[in-house]
Amino acid sequence: MDRLRVIGPVAELEIFTPGTPEEALAAIRAAPEGEVAVLAGGTDLLADLEEERSRARRIVSLRRLPWRTLDWTGPSLSIGSTLPLRALELDPGVRSRLPGLYEAVHAVGSVPLRHRATLGGNLARSAPASDLIPVLLALDAEVELFAAAGVRRLSVDRFVRASRVTAIAPGELIRSIRIPEARPSAFRWQRVRLANDISQLAVAVALSPSDRRWRVAVGGIPPRAIRLAEAATALGTGAPAEAAVRRAGEIAARAVPLVADRRASEEYRRRLIGTLLARAVASALLPREGVG
Amino acid sequence: MSAAKRPDAAVKLAGGAVYGTDLEAPGMLWGALVLAPVAHGRLRSVDLAGARALDGAVAVGPDDLASLLPGGGGDPERPIFPRAEISYRSQPVAAVAAPTLETARRAARAVRVDAEPLGVVADLEALFPEWPGSEAERSPDIAAHVHARHGGVEAAFRDAETVVRETYRTASIHQVALEPHACLAEVRDGVWRVWTTTQSPFGVREDTASLLGVPEASVVVEGTWVGGGFGGKGASLLEPYALVLARAAGRPVRLALGYREEFLLGRTTLPAVVRMETGVTAGRIVARRVRLLLDVGTSLPGRDFATGYSIGFLLGPYRTPAFEVEGYAVRTNKPPFGPHRAPFAPQCVFVVESHLAHVALELGLDPEEFRAAHLWKEGDPTPLGQPVGPCGLAAAFEAARALARRWRAEAAPGQGVGIGAGFWSTGTGAGGEALARLDGRGLTILQGEREIGSGSVLVGLRAVAAHASGLSPARIQIEYADSSRAPFDSGVFGSRTTAALGRAVEEAVRGLLTRLAERMGTVGPVTLEEAGDGLVAVHRSERRSVEELLTPEERAAGGLEASGRHYGRAGSIDERRVVAGTFYPYTDFTGSVHVALVSVDRETGSVRVDRYAAFQDVGRLVDEGSARAQVEGAVAMGLGTALTEEAIWSEDGRLENPGLLDYRIPTLGEIPPLEITFLEGFRGAGPDGAKGLGEPPIIPVPAAVAAAVRAASGAHLTELPLSAERVARALKLL
Amino acid sequence: MTERRLVLTVNGLAASLADVPAGERLLDTLRWRLGLKGTKEGCRTGGCGACTVLVDGESSLSCLTLTHEVDGCAVTTIEAIASDPVGRSVRDAFEREGALQCGYCTPGFVVALTGLLKERGRSAPLEELLDGLQGNLCRCTGYVAIARAVRAAREATA
Repeated sequence: MDRLRVIGPVAELEIFTPGTPEEALAAIRAAPEGEVAVLAGGTDLLADLEEERSRARRIVSLRRLPWRTLDWTGPSLSIGSTLPLRALELDPGVRSRLPGLYEAVHAVGSVPLRHRATLGGNLARSAPASDLIPVLLALDAEVELFAAAGVRRLSVDRFVRASRVTAIAPGELIRSIRIPEARPSAFRWQRVRLANDISQLAVAVALSPSDRRWRVAVGGIPPRAIRLAEAATALGTGAPAEAAVRRAGEIAARAVPLVADRRASEEYRRRLIGTLLARAVASALLPREGVG
Repeated sequence: MSAAKRPDAAVKLAGGAVYGTDLEAPGMLWGALVLAPVAHGRLRSVDLAGARALDGAVAVGPDDLASLLPGGGGDPERPIFPRAEISYRSQPVAAVAAPTLETARRAARAVRVDAEPLGVVADLEALFPEWPGSEAERSPDIAAHVHARHGGVEAAFRDAETVVRETYRTASIHQVALEPHACLAEVRDGVWRVWTTTQSPFGVREDTASLLGVPEASVVVEGTWVGGGFGGKGASLLEPYALVLARAAGRPVRLALGYREEFLLGRTTLPAVVRMETGVTAGRIVARRVRLLLDVGTSLPGRDFATGYSIGFLLGPYRTPAFEVEGYAVRTNKPPFGPHRAPFAPQCVFVVESHLAHVALELGLDPEEFRAAHLWKEGDPTPLGQPVGPCGLAAAFEAARALARRWRAEAAPGQGVGIGAGFWSTGTGAGGEALARLDGRGLTILQGEREIGSGSVLVGLRAVAAHASGLSPARIQIEYADSSRAPFDSGVFGSRTTAALGRAVEEAVRGLLTRLAERMGTVGPVTLEEAGDGLVAVHRSERRSVEELLTPEERAAGGLEASGRHYGRAGSIDERRVVAGTFYPYTDFTGSVHVALVSVDRETGSVRVDRYAAFQDVGRLVDEGSARAQVEGAVAMGLGTALTEEAIWSEDGRLENPGLLDYRIPTLGEIPPLEITFLEGFRGAGPDGAKGLGEPPIIPVPAAVAAAVRAASGAHLTELPLSAERVARALKLL
Repeated sequence: MTERRLVLTVNGLAASLADVPAGERLLDTLRWRLGLKGTKEGCRTGGCGACTVLVDGESSLSCLTLTHEVDGCAVTTIEAIASDPVGRSVRDAFEREGALQCGYCTPGFVVALTGLLKERGRSAPLEELLDGLQGNLCRCTGYVAIARAVRAAREATA
């Protein structure tokens, strides 16, 4: 039977599925910049294509690259850029040793979405509402960029520049994301709906066992998630007193540049920072097996 | 439990049910609509050349209608494409079809629409800052003005000990049936045929014929499985466009909305502002004044039903010696207002319940005691002078108070319990007819209506026929037919299918039994019994095989037929109380009272519903499983209205959140444990005393949740939805 | 380098597809090319779950999956879900508990729950299963009967 087709005969889009990083870079290089989209899961890209927000004419899929990896080396974790988020979520080590990362991954979309979405894709697309970027900031994560000339490492803080803007250079691909050490950590968000929603505001905290200092990051805010050094300092070392947590919250609320959009007002976001920060700190300090 | 297993479960679970979105035909084209780029504008030109240049594409614009439509272009008052003025953003201005969906979309993008933007009216209060007043009455922006009064309201307010005034605001909400609108159209031999996902094949037929200016008899509508309706699929939306495209192409055309378009074009509830004023003396209400400003989008003057209908719900089911109500339907540059499961009633009940509770608290009275003391009793007049019929409202309210007391005793700190009470007029609509056919093995009901999911057709009508005939539902078949063969019915909406169309089915079945009785030489009563594969007609001790009672002609024709009809009568109102506009009397008074137990996060304003109970007046329980399912679904939908759902319109008439991520209906995680109690015995006009049930259980939800939020936290909210941010503001956290 | 022919296993049968455009979604391939319309089209942007299918046994949103991305994979849709013992238990639980009304979201729920039970095994706590279905929207049932069906299916597969 001659079945119906939704697309064609003129295909506006082409797709390449290279087997090596070198081939992938060649396929990217061969198309004009701005007309090529790298596919690493595609849950964000395909929504853009559907709603005609993307100008891509060529898609280069990374699904055949050997980067669906998850490697613990002592206290540090290396996550291959094309590993589905669901694999990260179900890894027992992530759940016990990086609870904030687990919580953030679990907060993304839905189970079927997390079966396709990847950490590399999330970073490369760097949506301002990303739930993953704040926790990567709090964990001092580094992006490992592959290029023909070699590999370079960049902190997530320096990699994510603005809404949908990253420091990736032409000829580079995200190979992996490295988290230097397991940390007591937590991710707290406020949303209109519990699941399958976008955070109005999110706070990630982590306590480094090596320097005993806190890291604090805030997300859900355009143009990008940010690290809050002063608020982290106010938390002191180790378990903070209640007053220190309150002070850190006040500092954070002052420090974060906030805007209003259709998800929340500026005042409401500001009000949430201290609350979510205190809740995240309390959660991070809960005893867990295997942390550190 | 008298629940019948759903007869449609197997086909739906196998993926075999064909919905509107699944329609296809050999050689069909894919359709797409070209949407207006501005919310208000003077249309200079629609240039279709770019679309027509694409391979195999067909394009139809305003100038093509005269040649395509036999009547010369359709209804001049409601042209399917605007000729001079664009009145809302995303109004269809042209339509295209092509051999693939991608080409159709490309063709739609290639249409050049030249429109000069005009001033946009989108914000009710900006339009009428000083309402109510003569300024509003005379404005061309008013589609309807309704006004009623009784009992010397000025004097009553003047003499009242206390007067409490408040202003409430409610949000625009969308039905969000999971299946978007979709249809398949074909025009051949003068027959305009459309297969569509609809709550009302006959409504679509009437509407489409009128919009296209073709005789109703030449339009044939056939329903498909319906992926949810909730009021959104009660009238025609895509069918005229698909038919015009099919006519132009000479081929079948499939036209379906993407979900984004579903939001942009949907006919649904728009924002409203309500001012409430209540005078109280010695703990008794002595006067009420209600003023409503309801956004009706681009509804045409005279076509607004919501204002005159809903305004009665703003007075609530409470005795009111003196009152005045005044409502304005305001035209704005948004799509026309459309029905959404008990249209605008949950909002009205939220307003009146929250307001009266507030009045009581201001006076130091118990808010539930205060409302109970004023609640209607059977025979009381409504504000518009209609006597209240049998209604379980007061009994449900008492039961709810008893439960609320228990829950309050068990509540933890930070939790609160609230009650919301409302009523609805069920079994409404223009009426319907039924055809029943009896053969030697079973009973068949011929239907134009398709099952929309509530079970009202496949479970409800079968249960009614079973009850009337004595057969089990398994012996009763529903046979679907298109609008040229099926008996007329006004639609699967208005909580009327089982209650009102059921009466026609009941009458048709009784007609069959009467004919059998005649043949048995008696005047009855006759019932049917199953005997092996066959049926017997039973009158006292006499038993006759149905097969033998049929004539050879009837056996050859498939059975003995009888028809039934039911055109319900509403009560009447006291017209002397009407100053202006049209008010509507009610049919069955159907009460619903809900109890909510919630927790409020005192730092973020988040509300979590921990426990929920519904007391529902049903007249008679026709099928318990389906009845419970209606309450469960309605409560969840109402929780969305209460807490998370809001279509956000910008000042320039743009919908800012047209998608399921930003327009948030509840998910599985937001549903509390739910207890349901049915109240029987307050008889309605439906089969053997049944009342309609599709809409009533959504009505008290926002009111119950708001009352519980206030009890839990002290936050008094006057705006829907009760978002965490609004609760935080009410708690003075911001 | 663009593949001209894709080979998928769909519901246990090999499907060799020629000239699949790069932008074609698995949802459209299944529904329009292969005629498997049990997989429903809802929002097409990952927000409703109506189009959920199994790809190599894992639940996936077919609206957010390019058909080229599942070249070589095994795809299972609602039409064949009952040929898997877990899928059969889920299907039966939905039928027994009356966990559907209009039925439009039903295939997505049945497939997603089947995927979860297969992925998490018999030890999965009920809460985790319910949590894992929050991406599937239903507007008719209020999820009450669906939650009952999840409980029943879990017990049947335990």
